Amino acid sequence: MRFFKKIATLALIIPILAAQSVVSKTPRLTEEQRIVHVLNRLGFGPRPGDVERIKSIGLENYINQQLAPERIADTLAESKTQDLSALKMSTAELYEKYPQPGQLIRRMQDRGMLPKELSDAKGDQKNPQENPEYRKLIQEFYKENGLEQPQRIIAQLQASRILRAVYSERQLQEVMVDFWTNHFNIFFGKGADRWLLPAYDRDTIRPHAMGKFSTLLQATAQSPAMLFYLDNFQSVSPNANGGRAQEMMMNAQQRPRRGINENYARELMELHTLGVDGGYTQKDVTEVARCFTGWTIFQPRGGAAAVNALRGEEARTRRPAGSFFFNMRAHDDGEKVVLGNKIPAGGGFNDGLKVLDILARHPSTAKFIATKLVRHFVSDNPPPALVNRVATVFTKSDGDIRETLRAIFFSSEFYSPEAHRAKVKRPFELAVSAIRVLGADTNGGPGTHQWIARMGEPLYGFQTPNGYSDAAESWVNTGGLLERMNFGVALAGNRVQGTKVDLAQVVKQNTDKNRMVDESLRMILAGEVSAATRDSLMKKVDPADPVMKVVGLILGTPEFQRQ
Amino acid sequence: MNRRFFLRSGSIALASVGMSLSAPSFLERVVMGREASAAGGRRKVLIAIFQRGAVDGLNMVVPFGESNYYNARPSIAIPKPESGNVESAIDLDGFFGLHPSMRSFKPLWDSQRLAIVHASGSPDNSRSHFDAQDYMESATPGVKSTADGWLNRYLQAKKDSKASSFRAVSMTRNMPRVLMGRAPSIAMANLNEFSIRAGKASANVQSGFEEIYAQQNKDVIAKTGRETFDAVNYLKQADPGKYKPENGAEYPNGPFGNSLRQIAQLIKADVGLEIAFTDMGQWDTHVNQGSSRGQLANLLSQFSVGIGALYQDLGRRMDDVVILTMSEFGRTVRENGNRGTDHGHANAMFVMGNSVRGGKVYGRWPGLKDDQLFEGRDLALTTDFREVFGEIAISHLGATNIKSVFPGYHLTRPNRLIT
Repeated sequence: MRFFKKIATLALIIPILAAQSVVSKTPRLTEEQRIVHVLNRLGFGPRPGDVERIKSIGLENYINQQLAPERIADTLAESKTQDLSALKMSTAELYEKYPQPGQLIRRMQDRGMLPKELSDAKGDQKNPQENPEYRKLIQEFYKENGLEQPQRIIAQLQASRILRAVYSERQLQEVMVDFWTNHFNIFFGKGADRWLLPAYDRDTIRPHAMGKFSTLLQATAQSPAMLFYLDNFQSVSPNANGGRAQEMMMNAQQRPRRGINENYARELMELHTLGVDGGYTQKDVTEVARCFTGWTIFQPRGGAAAVNALRGEEARTRRPAGSFFFNMRAHDDGEKVVLGNKIPAGGGFNDGLKVLDILARHPSTAKFIATKLVRHFVSDNPPPALVNRVATVFTKSDGDIRETLRAIFFSSEFYSPEAHRAKVKRPFELAVSAIRVLGADTNGGPGTHQWIARMGEPLYGFQTPNGYSDAAESWVNTGGLLERMNFGVALAGNRVQGTKVDLAQVVKQNTDKNRMVDESLRMILAGEVSAATRDSLMKKVDPADPVMKVVGLILGTPEFQRQ
Repeated sequence: MNRRFFLRSGSIALASVGMSLSAPSFLERVVMGREASAAGGRRKVLIAIFQRGAVDGLNMVVPFGESNYYNARPSIAIPKPESGNVESAIDLDGFFGLHPSMRSFKPLWDSQRLAIVHASGSPDNSRSHFDAQDYMESATPGVKSTADGWLNRYLQAKKDSKASSFRAVSMTRNMPRVLMGRAPSIAMANLNEFSIRAGKASANVQSGFEEIYAQQNKDVIAKTGRETFDAVNYLKQADPGKYKPENGAEYPNGPFGNSLRQIAQLIKADVGLEIAFTDMGQWDTHVNQGSSRGQLANLLSQFSVGIGALYQDLGRRMDDVVILTMSEFGRTVRENGNRGTDHGHANAMFVMGNSVRGGKVYGRWPGLKDDQLFEGRDLALTTDFREVFGEIAISHLGATNIKSVFPGYHLTRPNRLIT
């Protein structure tokens, strides 16, 4: 089989692999098992017909296709996400079209342009938001002026993630978007990040998810969303002469403490590149922070974008609101030493670029990224030999993400029985895989996302920079498991708002309950189910039971929680 | 199955959960937990309440004895205590007073069950809600990479091999940062949701899942599933739908009152609860926060009436319960141009319970003169919030390995809040 020839060829090239090939002594996965495994790990699980499709084109071809997503047509996902208009807007447009009501009203009041009825309803003493009349007038005002509430932005972004995961033919691309979104995690609830995240997903993560790690790293470093989330936008050198001027552009609420903010510098090394034991010191954190002083955001909270747009005024600023810029006046231009590398004085913007270069190519980074990728794709306990080989490929290919992934997908460990169905699905993976396996139709809206949140993984909802865990222990708990079962039952019963299942297309209602159960198990789990679970189902299913009960139970089995 | 368990559990019918031949592990642990309590070590409970959005501590616990307070707040200050004036501050000790909408706290103060720690909070000077909440919940101010919350680290440090699934419960939709971590805990918006929800078919579907999860022995997911159903069934016996508060307690309508009522319910159902958490929002009063009446007054009323009802409802059980309130930072000493207050620094915390040395405002008062203010604008900090958390963890909950709960911090315990 060509597929195994490929492994053999690799074994010749990379001597370490030769020793690993011995693994094939253990019982091997069947062809169908391998296909389902690849559909689960390189994607969000099989849809009806996927296994047959891959059988006909060949597994190796399928993997190679997935590694080149730009060559895969994706019209269905594009059309499904077509109406999510916020995701096509620039950040400045989002500030104009999705303003925070309180902020907008204050600015309108300051400029004397608040309509009288709104001003009256707002009154003086009451909390205006608790006044239904006022809220209604705001809604009307928003409608008349073509504005929308800011929470709609994240709802659209979450919907796009669900829709693409369900419908995209570029499944691996979506898996990598999910992976990097967690690796470079950002919480939508932090200040302006709600407005900054669509550009982060569209311009920072997606274009580089399968490219070079160094390019991706630089894109995140310059992204307003990350600069805001990890506070670098307000990191100002205490020696910088332009600091005061920058402060004066801000009002008292957002005025930064003068001085260096080390937050980004620390997480950049701990979480984005080297790993916590990657060999950096507190001194390195401070030096890196100095290098990034002045990497900031123009009008991080949108400034007067919304109120100017309402007046029909063109933005007269030099830059669009919410865009990256390097503020030389806030930069510490002295000499720095980062991980033993001297960065001479006078480097300006290049200081930060040099740091990213050092970090992206550091051996600790190769090890750290390889470990995380192997944990994600293979096992919660990454086999050290595989991690080493993958790290070597990462380094030799200058951080080429595709080549690194290829080393995983064509390794023997990836297809080992130990790796098969060993990973517990995260709630997003669980929800999407259930929708896909039933061939359900979804709009990806809040009704569906809410379930993912209840199971514990609201998208862009993880507060701290480490992102959602990739290990089973974080997901196997009483509350989360109960919601997983409830989700399965709700989905099968067509009670997930915005998602429609036509079970008749999947499994036929059958008075022979054995046939009904087995057919459902074949559809949903490719028949890979323990005898105990099958027996329990047979025992608990009545011939008169609707097929939706059978499907709901199967979606809630321990087996379906795994991939 | 232990007979004493049935004897003591009184009205709680256990027929359906007691059926299987081998005792379910969850029930075993409940039984053993009760035996431990019979031996004298009664289970202590902490109820932690987060006021999200930064409550204005200076109008909640009013330093009416200080003229600078009135100079700084011409339109929103709370008037000095004055007999017969229900809009004036409620005198506590001749210097501090409660906001007039917090009358339900007065009896607790008078009976010395309510302590206040003023000028307390985070030593980090962040004025970002997000960062400050993060620091207060991780209890590592200034360190963002801390993966778990301090209450979860407490659970990890004080290992309890007999812990029930309900050892730590957050009455919130999502798991709060403070309970995130390796130790198991449950988050739920409503007790009634803690079940299989399939309409009329619920019981039938649940029995199907129970069978599936009962038959798989080694799988870690199946094991968790069995514990889940033990817990679900146990809670069902407590019948959350039919709960009647005791001692004439009346909880306020709304999500906060509901959460508190359900916490009381869990405590009374003896499900092994040790840590309960809930929160209340809307405290970010930048505009028209009001004075004796208005926006903040309404919030404080809901807050104090709710906690007062909880206290009343739990009755003698408050011997073993401590209620702790917190908020991420205080608000500016001076009112702003919109008759509101902006993000500040130190704040006030309440600690309540029959074992609390109450009737006292703890912490050194730093003063409100211009040169006494933090960064020229905010109430200065004199008590690190970890002192308060730490003392409760040690003196009330009996935590031992406290260094792992508050990494990098050395507790001084000056206050002795708990008897």
